[in-house]
Amino acid sequence: MNSAGHKRQNRGVSRLGTVFLLCVLTVVALVYLIPLCWTVASALRPASSLYEYANPLTWRTFVPDRVTLANLQNIFVNLGFGRALANSFIVAVASIVLGVAVNSMAGFALAKFQFPGKGLLFFMVLITFMVPFEAIVIPLYLVVSRLGIINSYYALILPAVGNGLAIFLFKQFFEEVPSELLEAARVDGASWMRIFWGIVMPLSMPVVVSVVVMLFMFQWNALFWPLVAAHSSQYQMVQVAVATHVTAEEAHWANLFSSALAASLPPMLLFLFLQKYYVRGISNTGFK
Amino acid sequence: MFRDTKAALVFILPAFVFIGLFKIWPIVLSFGESFTFTSITGAKTFVGLENYGYLFTEDPVFWGSVKTTVLYSLMINPLTVAAALGLALLFNRKARYTGFFRTLSFLPSAISMSVVAVVWGIILDPYYGLANSMLRMVGLAPQPFLTSSTQALMCLAAISLWRSAGYWMMFFLAGLQGIPHEIYEAADIDGASGLQKTFRITLPLLTRTTSFVLVANTAFNFLTFAPVYILTKGGPRGSTNLLMYESFKSAFVNLDIGRATAISSILLVIILLIAVVELRLTRASFDY
Repeated sequence: MNSAGHKRQNRGVSRLGTVFLLCVLTVVALVYLIPLCWTVASALRPASSLYEYANPLTWRTFVPDRVTLANLQNIFVNLGFGRALANSFIVAVASIVLGVAVNSMAGFALAKFQFPGKGLLFFMVLITFMVPFEAIVIPLYLVVSRLGIINSYYALILPAVGNGLAIFLFKQFFEEVPSELLEAARVDGASWMRIFWGIVMPLSMPVVVSVVVMLFMFQWNALFWPLVAAHSSQYQMVQVAVATHVTAEEAHWANLFSSALAASLPPMLLFLFLQKYYVRGISNTGFK
Repeated sequence: MFRDTKAALVFILPAFVFIGLFKIWPIVLSFGESFTFTSITGAKTFVGLENYGYLFTEDPVFWGSVKTTVLYSLMINPLTVAAALGLALLFNRKARYTGFFRTLSFLPSAISMSVVAVVWGIILDPYYGLANSMLRMVGLAPQPFLTSSTQALMCLAAISLWRSAGYWMMFFLAGLQGIPHEIYEAADIDGASGLQKTFRITLPLLTRTTSFVLVANTAFNFLTFAPVYILTKGGPRGSTNLLMYESFKSAFVNLDIGRATAISSILLVIILLIAVVELRLTRASFDY
C-alpha cells in the first residue's frame, strides 16, 4: 500500500493517534517477545537457577547472566533427543522428496491435460486439502495397521506424501507456463516426462520451494500422527519427544525449555530464510 | 490443454495412489468401522447405528465433550478473527517497523503447537509461572490457570490465539492488498477520515476474506489436540475434554474402536460440511 491516498492518511494521523499506535505496538511486541525470550533465556541458563528468575520479574528473567549449554547437552546425551531429531529429519526429507515429485506431476496433469474424470479428481484434491489431517488420524491408524506398516518410517512418511494443497499450488503455477513451449518440445520429439522434468520443473523453483517449506513444517511439527503411528522409542519424532518431557512424572523445566528450543530452531531458521515462500504458499490457498 | 489421456494418467496416478490409500480410504473406513463393535479378542460384529445411538442417548462423557468443543469454538474463533484482522490493519502500511512486526507475529505459526503448549504451560504454572509473577507485580491475586476447571479452557484458547493470530493475519493482508487504491483516493477527495475509511470501505470489502478465515479457522480449531494432550489431558474435571482428545482416548486408551470411529465420523461430517462452505467461499471471485 503506497498510494498517494495512504500517504495522505498517514500524515493526517494526530499526535494522540501516534501515542495510541505506539502503545498498541508495544503490547503486541511484548506479547510475542516475552514467551520467545523466556524460552531462549531459560534453555541457556543453569538448571539450578531456573525458578529463581521467574519471580519476581526483572530484566534478568529474559536475559541469562550465565550462559551454559549444559541443558542442551543433557537432553542430547542422556535423554536421546538426538535420535528424535534425526528421525524427524529423515521423515521430513523423505516426505519432501516423494511429495514434491508426486504432487508436482499430478499438478501438471491437472493444469495441462484434458482427460475423463478430471473434474472428480480435482474435487478430491480440494476435499483432501480442506479436511485437516487430524480429522482422519484415527481411521488412518486403522488403514496403516491393515497395511502392516504401523510403527515404522513408512507409517510416518507415506501418509504425508499425497498432499492436496501441494497439488493445488503446483497446478496454479503450471497453468502460467505457456503451452506453446511444451508444444514446441513435443514437436521436437521429447517425451512428456522429459518435458516435465527438463523444462517445466526447472522453471518452477519458486513453487517447489513453497511446497518444500510447507511439507517440512507439516512433518516437523506433527504430534498427533507420530504419537499414534510410531510408539516405539526407535521411531520417536521430535514433537513426541518434547511432549514426553511434560508427561514425565516430574516436569523438569530445564529439559522442557531446552527441548523446546532444539525442536524449534530448524523450522524457525527455515522460516526466517524462506519466509517469502512460506507466506506465498499459504496466501495462494484461498484467493485468486 | 493437451488431450493425451494416457500421459495424463501416468502423471496423476502416483499422487492418487497416495491420496486414495491415506486420505480417501480412511474417510470411507471411518464410517464403515463406526457401525461395528470390536471385542477384546479382536472379533468384529456389525452393530448398525448402535455406537451412534449410545453416543447420542446415554453417553454423558461424549455430550460433555460436545459442549466443551462448542464452547471452545465460540471462544476461539471470533477472538482469532478479530486479532488477525486487527494485526493486519495495524501492519498493512509501509513503515519501517511493519516488516519486523509482521515477522514477529507470524513466527509462532512456524513453531509447533506442542512447543507452544509446553512453553505456555510453564508460563501459566500457578506457583512459578511468569503469568502469576506479572499479576503479583501489579498487585493482583495469583490465578490457578490450567489447574482450574473454570479457567483451563480459556487458557487453551489464549494459547491457540497466540500461535495462530499471525497466521490468519497473512490472509487478511492478502485481502487488503486486493482492495483497489482508487476507492481510497475517491474517499479522500470526499474528505473521509481514517476511521470512516476503515469501517465504510475496508471492513465491508473484506467480508469474503473474513468469512473464509472464520470458516477455515473453525475447521482447524474443531480438531484441537496437541495442547489438550500436553497440558490438561482433558481435565480438570473434563473441562478441556475436546472431541478430538475424547476420540483419541477412546481409540488408544479405552481401545473402543467403534466409539472412536463414530466420534471421528461425526467430526468428519462436520468438517466436510465446513469444507463445502469453504469451497464456495474460495471459488467465488472478488467483485468490487
